[in-house]
Amino acid sequence: MSNLTQEQIKVLEQSRQRLVQLTRSLGSLIASLNQSDPLPPWTSLQSQASIISNNLISVSDQLSDQRDLLSNLVAYPGPEYPGRTQANTLEQLLRTKLDPRVEDWVARGRAAGTEPATGPSSNFSDPDAVHKPLSDAQLTQLWEWAPLEANQEARRRNWGGNFTLEEREAGIENVVTGLRRQLEDDDGEEEEEEEEEEESEGEEGDGEGMDVVGVHRKPGAAEFEFNIAPHHPHPVQPFVPLDLILRHMTTGRMP
Amino acid sequence: MHEQSLFASVPVHQHHELLQQLAGLTAMQPRHCLERRLIFKAYRKPGMAGRTGASQDLQQGDLQRLNKMLNGNMYYTQVVGPVSESDFGSTAPVDQDTQMAGMDDSKPYGSSSSPSYDYERQPWKLEFRDIPEAGTRSAVTSRLMSSATLPRGDVVQAMNAWGYNFVTEYVVEGDMFIHNDIAIFLHRVLHYPGGDELSLPRRQLPALKDMTLFEKSGSYVLQAFIIVQDGSNQETMKTASQHLFGLREQLKSAVLLEQADRLSLDTRAK
Amino acid sequence: MADSFTLPLRPIPEKRDRPDTLPVEIAQINNQWGSFREVNEDVLRNKIAEEEEKDGLDEVDERDQDATDLDSTERLEQLYKRRAEITQFAMQAHMETMFALDFVSLLLSKQAPRQAETSLSAFLKQVAPLGSLNSEVVNPPPKPESTTKDVSAVSRGWRIQNFNAAANKLLQAASRLETEVAAETRYWNEVLTVKDKGWKVSRLPLERQSLGVQYGFLESAPVFRDRGLASLRRAEDGALSLDEGLIPAKARFVRVRVIQDGRLSGCSKPTRSSFNGDGTIEDRILQARDTVYEDELFHELVREARAIASFGVTTRQNLIQIPASDDLEILLDLVDTDEDVSEPEHCISQQGTSIAEGLARTIRILLAYAHRQNLRRRTQLPLPLTPKTRPVPEHQLIRPALAYIKHMSHVRWLQSLLKDLYGVLHSASLRPPAYTARIFSTRIQSQTSPAPAVENLVGQFLTPLLSTFNGKILTPRASFSIAIHTNLSSPPFGTTFDVSFNMPKYPDIESPGKLSHREEVEAAITHLLLLDVVFTISANSSLKSECNEDQAKRTWESIYPQHGELLIPTPKPNSEKRKKMKIALSRHELSLEIYTVRCIDGTGRGNWEKPSYHSMPHTWKPSPIVGAPNQPSLMDFVSTEVSRL
Repeated sequence: MSNLTQEQIKVLEQSRQRLVQLTRSLGSLIASLNQSDPLPPWTSLQSQASIISNNLISVSDQLSDQRDLLSNLVAYPGPEYPGRTQANTLEQLLRTKLDPRVEDWVARGRAAGTEPATGPSSNFSDPDAVHKPLSDAQLTQLWEWAPLEANQEARRRNWGGNFTLEEREAGIENVVTGLRRQLEDDDGEEEEEEEEEEESEGEEGDGEGMDVVGVHRKPGAAEFEFNIAPHHPHPVQPFVPLDLILRHMTTGRMP
Repeated sequence: MHEQSLFASVPVHQHHELLQQLAGLTAMQPRHCLERRLIFKAYRKPGMAGRTGASQDLQQGDLQRLNKMLNGNMYYTQVVGPVSESDFGSTAPVDQDTQMAGMDDSKPYGSSSSPSYDYERQPWKLEFRDIPEAGTRSAVTSRLMSSATLPRGDVVQAMNAWGYNFVTEYVVEGDMFIHNDIAIFLHRVLHYPGGDELSLPRRQLPALKDMTLFEKSGSYVLQAFIIVQDGSNQETMKTASQHLFGLREQLKSAVLLEQADRLSLDTRAK
Repeated sequence: MADSFTLPLRPIPEKRDRPDTLPVEIAQINNQWGSFREVNEDVLRNKIAEEEEKDGLDEVDERDQDATDLDSTERLEQLYKRRAEITQFAMQAHMETMFALDFVSLLLSKQAPRQAETSLSAFLKQVAPLGSLNSEVVNPPPKPESTTKDVSAVSRGWRIQNFNAAANKLLQAASRLETEVAAETRYWNEVLTVKDKGWKVSRLPLERQSLGVQYGFLESAPVFRDRGLASLRRAEDGALSLDEGLIPAKARFVRVRVIQDGRLSGCSKPTRSSFNGDGTIEDRILQARDTVYEDELFHELVREARAIASFGVTTRQNLIQIPASDDLEILLDLVDTDEDVSEPEHCISQQGTSIAEGLARTIRILLAYAHRQNLRRRTQLPLPLTPKTRPVPEHQLIRPALAYIKHMSHVRWLQSLLKDLYGVLHSASLRPPAYTARIFSTRIQSQTSPAPAVENLVGQFLTPLLSTFNGKILTPRASFSIAIHTNLSSPPFGTTFDVSFNMPKYPDIESPGKLSHREEVEAAITHLLLLDVVFTISANSSLKSECNEDQAKRTWESIYPQHGELLIPTPKPNSEKRKKMKIALSRHELSLEIYTVRCIDGTGRGNWEKPSYHSMPHTWKPSPIVGAPNQPSLMDFVSTEVSRL
């Protein structure tokens, strides 16, 4: 008989719950793929992908956080298990060998991680230079620095406004837009929105913060349409309705 | 003749923009119009108009038409006279006879060097409109109409002789656009200052800036209309309303052109 | 998972109709409309209407793009392939997590069967009873260092690769944006340049996503008016190009050729030389504008030419032939601007060239004038609608020019006729006062017309043309006047000469009135001058012999002034011989014959007249040589004849 502590059971229960979420999110992706032709809206695909990715992260976190317990826990069929008839299922449940494709994926990662890194090829200014792979320490340093820096950079941009930060700093009245209508400087609104967003999403660390970019970008073609009857800042509605005006014009009668 | 119209109320803040939109649509500059409109009301069934002495200046054709359109029911009818901006707030001409004698008939006012307004030379047109046709055959205001040129100057006497009393008068200011066979008139009503109703048309016009708005917010009425020669020709009547609907579609994002309330255009005198 | 599983940063093109997720939508609405409070039903309705309008047009755009991109079916095929891949990966992943979940659930079902049961798969529930998996915490030997190292190598490898991939994507997106921004900047700058030059730039009415430039003429006939708009397309690199649709890019112009005496004597030049493909956008717009104007011009010329076929104007395919006057013929055709003018140049005369150029300019000015008249017409209150459509009248392009040429030709002819006649008279030393000619004396309308001055100016050209000639002649208080009217715009068409005489000495002479043939005019004028000469002789010949009492009565008397015949009555009482003089006047010469007739009163004529003495006819002609020996003057000659009796 096993003697799992309540604490350990709780860990397993947590793992189970996270797996439930992951399974569900994958299930819903499959369902939405099946239901739409040819594809679901890209925004929906993207948000599903990010949900799956979050769930995956949470499973992965759990696995690494509870590594001590989970690597020391062994599972074996009890006498109640119908081993004779359901051997295949048991094998499937207790399998530790990786799926061939995953094996392949691991191998490629191993290759990339151990061989001297071939380096990102295309986007550096001089491709001739042979890049020395960074040392583990350097990598760690880079990876600690990069997310914060990237997020900061992202926050310094105004992703949805009519003016860039540079333009605003130089004074928006100097910007030559070539437009006759006045562009509103929506800085104020922007900040409000950002706040709302952050409230709703919650600050969940660096990975989450990156989403600032994704949510704000929405260049609908409709935005470029001129409004033929735009809102007037000071609308004045007539006091006398049309039919009374016409009546007055016809008979001279005062309303 | 028949007049088919669509109407819209245009709030004053939209006026400037609508002018530009109409100028763009019709590819023409707005033609500014000022009109005196005198309202007359029948007090008896008119008899033969030709017997009165006041109508001797009328052309025979006009006379017949007048008789035809004034006989029958008792109606409100309008006498419309074009005026120019310089007529407002100006004095009567000093020497009427010599100054006016040589003038071309088509330009009765405003061409002398100092602005003056001569009521005796004011051209007038009698504009008759029947109550719009009942029934909703099509969604436009369709009414029998007729117009005739009247002798210049004082029309009250002639109108009295036809059985019409002067009721009131006002001024219409606005801009006219032409879009193919549609006339588009964006206008509003101005009242004379002082308000007190005179029993006769004015012989002098006050300064334009002293005129008061009938509709206090300053809103405008947009009327788009087509005149059809023969109202009994269904084909032409249909063409006309289709043209008006076309215009309504083109303008729908700016204004909503609609059929007017029939009773608001009721010209019958009770 | 394979690294090919990436989500594109770029939106997939087929996204348009799909709703956005709610938060995004809300953010967008806030951006676009301000607060929700300002959104009302009308605004939304308008919006929907606009969207609907736009829908049809987007379709066009997308098709255009696809054409340059991938073939659409190929693209769709690829899309479905990718979709299948995504689905397959998702299913695989789903299965794997299901196994894991089943395993954990079954494991837990011993301790917490209620929760665990909820996440067990139906299949496993069926085959394995709850709690059938035992677990135990053991203390396994520590994993070898190599395993840990291997795991971290794999993880580092993937991290590096993924970061690289992400960085690449970002950089690609950035450089794509950069080129896009550069292209857009270039495009808009060029659009602005066009606009700054004063061209009207607007969105296209039927393709509201595109910009267009309006270079055409609003008052042209609809088919040409609608051609006056071309879209300003953006090339891949942002360069602006003018898309004129179906219009031939070739620049054409209406060529005017003048044929004099059957030979080409003048030819108009194109207003603008064409460029060879590398012109600026401005050049292209100008060329497009010119071409549409020239096309319309020729179209209207052909229309008018057909209407005035009664003037002898003929139209063939792409050629209008106009017999203008005498030996002058005008040819109009529409040719490419760069067409090689291979006509022989030697016949080209300055006069022919100036007629051709003048005419070329005239018809263009008149078309512009017609445009203005169109504007005037279409902005008048429309006439009541009737079932009949009113025909559009032909513009006046050829007629005024033709009237001018015809009128000018008649004026020149009359001037030369008068010059000849006066020359003949001068050669006989007769000195009639000079006549006055007022060419194109159409009265200037002094009315203060509301139309701009330039329109009044051109408008004058369309009114009937009038030139007047007035002159006094030798006979006291006698005069003539000739008015030449030319009118091709309204009936009666053509030219009339209104000739009137004032001849108090011959009150029964009537003015000829309106004449339409030159011969008639020549005859009438010559006749008048003949009468004048006859009267002058009869009035003046006696003066010379005034001193001679004897010869006081012997003067020339006109007997048949219409025939130029004069007679000296009764040289001697009872003598039957009388001296008779017959004068003939033509534009070439004045001739005079003197003979003696036997007749009681000398009035017998014709064959009964038997001249007994016949002088040689004496003629006066204008001398071609200046300072040629002077002939005796006519008056001297006739005086001598009187005294010789």
